[in-house]
Amino acid sequence: METIKMKLIYPRWQKLRGQTTFNLPPHGPVAFAATLPEWVDIDFVDENVEDLNFDDPCDIVAISMMLSTQVKRGWAIADEYRRRGIKVIAGGISTMLHAEDTVNHVDSVFLGESEGRMEEVLNDWKEGKLRKIYNYMGQQPPIELVGPCRRDLYKRELYNHKGVQMVDLFHASRGCRFSCYPCAVSYLGGRIFRPRPIDKVVEDMAGIDNNRLFIVDNSLAQNKEWEKELFRAIAPLKKKWISHTIEDDPEILDLAGKAGAWYVYQAVYDTSDYIKERIKRYHDNGIGVEGTILLGLDNQTEDDIKRLIDFLGEIDLDLAEFTVMTPFPHTKGYDDLLRQGRIFDFDWDHYNAGQVVFQPKHMSPERLQELYDYAWKSFYADESQEQKMFRLFCNVALREMQEGTYRPRDRRLANKSFGREVVRNIKK
Amino acid sequence: MKVSTDYYDELFDFKGQWDMPSRCGLKIRNVKGTPVIIVTELYQENPGTSVTYAGESLARQICDAKGLDHDTVRYIECTPDTNSKLSFYDEEFYEVDFKATDPAKKYTRLSPEQIDEIKQS
Repeated sequence: METIKMKLIYPRWQKLRGQTTFNLPPHGPVAFAATLPEWVDIDFVDENVEDLNFDDPCDIVAISMMLSTQVKRGWAIADEYRRRGIKVIAGGISTMLHAEDTVNHVDSVFLGESEGRMEEVLNDWKEGKLRKIYNYMGQQPPIELVGPCRRDLYKRELYNHKGVQMVDLFHASRGCRFSCYPCAVSYLGGRIFRPRPIDKVVEDMAGIDNNRLFIVDNSLAQNKEWEKELFRAIAPLKKKWISHTIEDDPEILDLAGKAGAWYVYQAVYDTSDYIKERIKRYHDNGIGVEGTILLGLDNQTEDDIKRLIDFLGEIDLDLAEFTVMTPFPHTKGYDDLLRQGRIFDFDWDHYNAGQVVFQPKHMSPERLQELYDYAWKSFYADESQEQKMFRLFCNVALREMQEGTYRPRDRRLANKSFGREVVRNIKK
Repeated sequence: MKVSTDYYDELFDFKGQWDMPSRCGLKIRNVKGTPVIIVTELYQENPGTSVTYAGESLARQICDAKGLDHDTVRYIECTPDTNSKLSFYDEEFYEVDFKATDPAKKYTRLSPEQIDEIKQS
C-alpha cells in the first residue's frame, strides 16, 4: 500500500489571562492517530507549543479539536488548506459540539469515535468519494478496540517546563452514566459507562515512558467494583496519577492512595460539612485535592459565591480552579439558557469558562466576572498558583524517591519552558 | 432522575441531530380547534438529542407522524420536575415560535395556569 502523508493538527487557543500556563500533551490527536492504518505517515503539530507551516508538504489534513475555544482557529486552518487544494477532515469533542458550523469549513466531519473506522474514510478519500459527514454518533465501537495512543508522535521536549516533563494523559474508560447540568459528555460519549479491559489498561499504562499521568476519564466514580479492580491492577506499576472524582468509599480511597493517586479534581459546590469531610478523607489517604468551583449557577447569589470563596480557606485545598458557568452546546445548561433568552454571546472564542457569556439569574454579567476574578485573587493571595503546584510536585517527588521511581529533571531543558527560552527576571 | 409518566401520554421516538435515536414524552391536546403539542424532555431516558436542541426538526417529525399541519399547531417544550434538589431541574413550560427571527421572542414561558388550561382541554 502506498504511504500517504497526513498533517495532524491540534489548533491553538487563547489561554486564560492571569493563570499559570501548562501545556499538556494532548490526548485526542494521539488517540485518533492510533486508529489510522499503518500506511498513513503522520506529521503531528500542536499549535500551542509550535508553529504551523502551511507549506509543509502533505496529502491530507486532519484537525483534532477538544475545546470550543479551538474551533474558530481550526476553521481558519481548514479554510487555508482548502484554498491550497488540500482536503481537510475534522474530528474530536468540539468538532462534535460545533458540527453544524464546522461542516462549512472542512471537506469532511467525523462524528463519534474513530476506532475501526478510519480505513474506510481514507479509502473514500483515495477514491475521490470523501463524504461530507461520517456519522457514528451513538454507535460506539467495541471498547476492546481502544488501543495504546500514538504517544511516539509527541515532540517530548515541547511538553517540558524547566526540565520537568508534563504528565501524560490516559483513559481507562469512555462514556458516563451521569448527565450533569453543565456537561456534554453524555452527548459525546454516550450514557453507558464503558470501561476498557483491565489487562489492556495495565499494558497500555505500563508502556508510557512517564511515571506521572492524568487519567482523564470523566469520573472514576462510575462503578465501585471496577474502581477497586482498576486500582489493584495498576498499583504495581508505581505510577503517580491525577484524576477526576474518586468514589467516596473508605476501601476505594485506600486502594486509590496505594495505587498512586496523586491528586484529584473534586467539585466544591457548597459549604457543607460533607464537602469539608470529603476533602479530609482524600487527604487522609495521601491524595491531594484541587477544588473545582463553578460560579454563576442559578442557585447562587452574590452572597452565596462570597461564602463559597471564604469557605475554601477552611477546607485545606491544595489547589483551586474557578470557572464561570458556560452554556456549551448539547448541555442542559445551554438548552435552558437558550430558551430563557439569556445567552448574549455566541463567539466560541469566549467559551473558555473564564468569560461570562450569559445573563446570570441573581447579578449582572459584569458582577459575576468581578466575582470570578476575585475568587482567583483571593485563593492565591498568600501563595501563588505556581508555588502551590510546586508543593504538590514536591509531595509526589518525595513519594517517588521512597519508591525508587523518581527521575531527576532534565538539566538540558532547565532553561526552556514548552520549547521556548525561559525569561528570568533576576533583580540585581 | 426518572420523569413521571404524568408528563406524557406516550413516548415518541425521533431522529435527533445527526439522526441519533432520541426519545421524548408527548401529549397532544386540542384547544379551541388548535392542536397543541407538548414535548417533554426525558433526560436519562432520552438516549440522544434534547428536545430543545432538536427543536423544529422534532416538531415536524411529530406533525408528520400524527397528521398535523406544522404551520397551524402550537408547540410547547416541557422540562419536567424531577424531584432534584437542584433548582435548575424545576418544571418549566415554554411555547416555541419557530418563525420568530428575534431569538429573544422564539421562546415564551407559560404560567402553571396556562398549562393547566391546555392540559384540561
